[in-house]
Amino acid sequence: MTLLDAKLVSMRFGGVVALSDVNVHQEAGETLGVIGPNGSGKTTLVNVITGHLTPQNGAVLFDGAPLLGRKPFQIAAAGLSRTYQSVRVFSELTTRENIATALLDAPRPLPSEGVAETAEWLGLTPRFDARAGSLTLYEQRRLEILMRLVQQPKLLMLDEPVGGLSSAEVRATINLLSELKARCTIFVIEHTMKVIRELADRVIVLVAGEKIADGPPAEILSDQRVIEKYLGSVDA
Amino acid sequence: MNVLTSRWLPHAIFAFAAFAMPLVFSGNRYFAFIVGITLLSVLWATGMNLLYGYTGLMPLMFAGIAGISAYVTIGLSAAGWSFWLAMLVGSIAASLVGIVLGLPSLRLRGFYFTLCSLVIQSVITLAFVYFVNLTNGDVGISHIPLPELPGGGQLTGTSYELVLAALTVIGVVVLTLLVESGFGHRLIAIREDDGLAETLGINVTRQRLAAFFIASLFASIGGALYAPYVGFVSPRSFDVLVSLNIWLMVAFGGRGTIWGPVVGAVILAPLPFLLQDYYMIKDVVYGLLIIGVIVLLPAGIVGGWKRKAAAGEPAPDVAQKTAPAR
Ligand SMILES: Nc1ncnc2c1ncn2[C@@H]1O[C@H](COP(=O)(O)OP(=O)(O)O)[C@@H](O)[C@H]1O
Ligand SMILES: [Mg+2]
Repeated sequence: MTLLDAKLVSMRFGGVVALSDVNVHQEAGETLGVIGPNGSGKTTLVNVITGHLTPQNGAVLFDGAPLLGRKPFQIAAAGLSRTYQSVRVFSELTTRENIATALLDAPRPLPSEGVAETAEWLGLTPRFDARAGSLTLYEQRRLEILMRLVQQPKLLMLDEPVGGLSSAEVRATINLLSELKARCTIFVIEHTMKVIRELADRVIVLVAGEKIADGPPAEILSDQRVIEKYLGSVDA
Repeated sequence: MNVLTSRWLPHAIFAFAAFAMPLVFSGNRYFAFIVGITLLSVLWATGMNLLYGYTGLMPLMFAGIAGISAYVTIGLSAAGWSFWLAMLVGSIAASLVGIVLGLPSLRLRGFYFTLCSLVIQSVITLAFVYFVNLTNGDVGISHIPLPELPGGGQLTGTSYELVLAALTVIGVVVLTLLVESGFGHRLIAIREDDGLAETLGINVTRQRLAAFFIASLFASIGGALYAPYVGFVSPRSFDVLVSLNIWLMVAFGGRGTIWGPVVGAVILAPLPFLLQDYYMIKDVVYGLLIIGVIVLLPAGIVGGWKRKAAAGEPAPDVAQKTAPAR
């Protein structure tokens, strides 16, 4: 079943073309990875799909319904949740209050046993009464995910979920995300190839706002064009 | 539930004090008047706290909204309406205007919204001066009739102060209930990070405008009651200095806490009366207070005290690695 279908999406900022005629298609249950150099339009793609930006062109269908023109809060209510590239929690509120805030307007809130179980799984239970701003980056990353999971989204878009984490934390996050695949469909932007290689069922490559490749990770990560344009420039 | 251990205990004490003070000073109209103005100030500061303390917006047109309500109420009463009906209509009308004046908050944040609200307040003041047939311009309206009572007679003296006390207590209780409700939690989320709140499914626009409506109701009800109580209004009664005064009460006492603005109003509202004989230093005292609050007490008296209490507890997070700056 098609969950996400973005067609011919184009987004310009003044003279900067951030996305040009990008098509993205994702099946329910399929983990889609997005890679590309800095500034290639990955975050912009998420911003367009989740209603934070209005593209000049294109159409986005989610779960069969058009998304363009709808506000971010409506898109969240439709079951499409996203995280931010730089970690974003309510830092002055406690972990518990952050979770409660995520539950406020969730159309399908996880029942409280489910919340407790998910928090336990993410290792956040001992931190419930701590101010979110006092949590480590890794804990804040997990809190971000927990705040999405209590809403039981159909699709979770993660923008560089391991950015800034140590290699041990990256390892642990990959394990968490692979378990997460059983709970909801994941769309993940990552620079760390390990994440894409181990998690993604399919990968798309963005370069300068254009999709230059789309396919299984093993194939894409050995594609000569991708290696030239992208992988040569970072530690893969 | 035992009222002594209840979380409503502070409210009970406040209600007792609010009703007792007018009775204690019933023999001295001057002191009783200071009590009445202080009660009105508590009501106003509590309303502004919903916006400044809980939603994170500094509405400098607050006094202007109170003024709109006051003039509409006076006008309708003069046209033969019952004061209470006029006040109801005036308050709702002014609060609807408050929603419209809150619209810039959908685009502007922080300092820019404050600046915009300052401009709006100036325009309202100019309108009060300009529409002479409604407001009598700079001359002002005097001999405003007192509200009539259902059984005949007028609301006057100590009973006026008791009505102000009742509305003020209701105002504080309403704010407490709002803040502890889902609505209050949504506002706090918006204050902390409106983008994240929206991403989590909160309709930020609707919540913000609802906050404007409710805060404007506080301003409006206070404005409608202020006019007959003082007996005289002019554009100066509802100018930017009045807004700043209310802001100072909220900031000085502690924004984003229920009792901070109450304490701020109780301390600051009587000040001009007590300093009346020292007209020259009055403005200096106010200036110093504003600077003092900004520099020394960014969280206000109650907020600063709460922070200190929290800092005194063993902090479980100190040893933890903190998130690296990104
Ligand atoms: N809100 C914005 N306003 C102007 N330019 C933007 C905005 N967001 C992104 N851009 C530009 O669009 C391009 C793509 O950015 P982005 O999507 O953040 O890239 P990535 O996430 O792949 O690193 C960059 O050139 C960036 O400067
Ligand atoms: Mg990015």
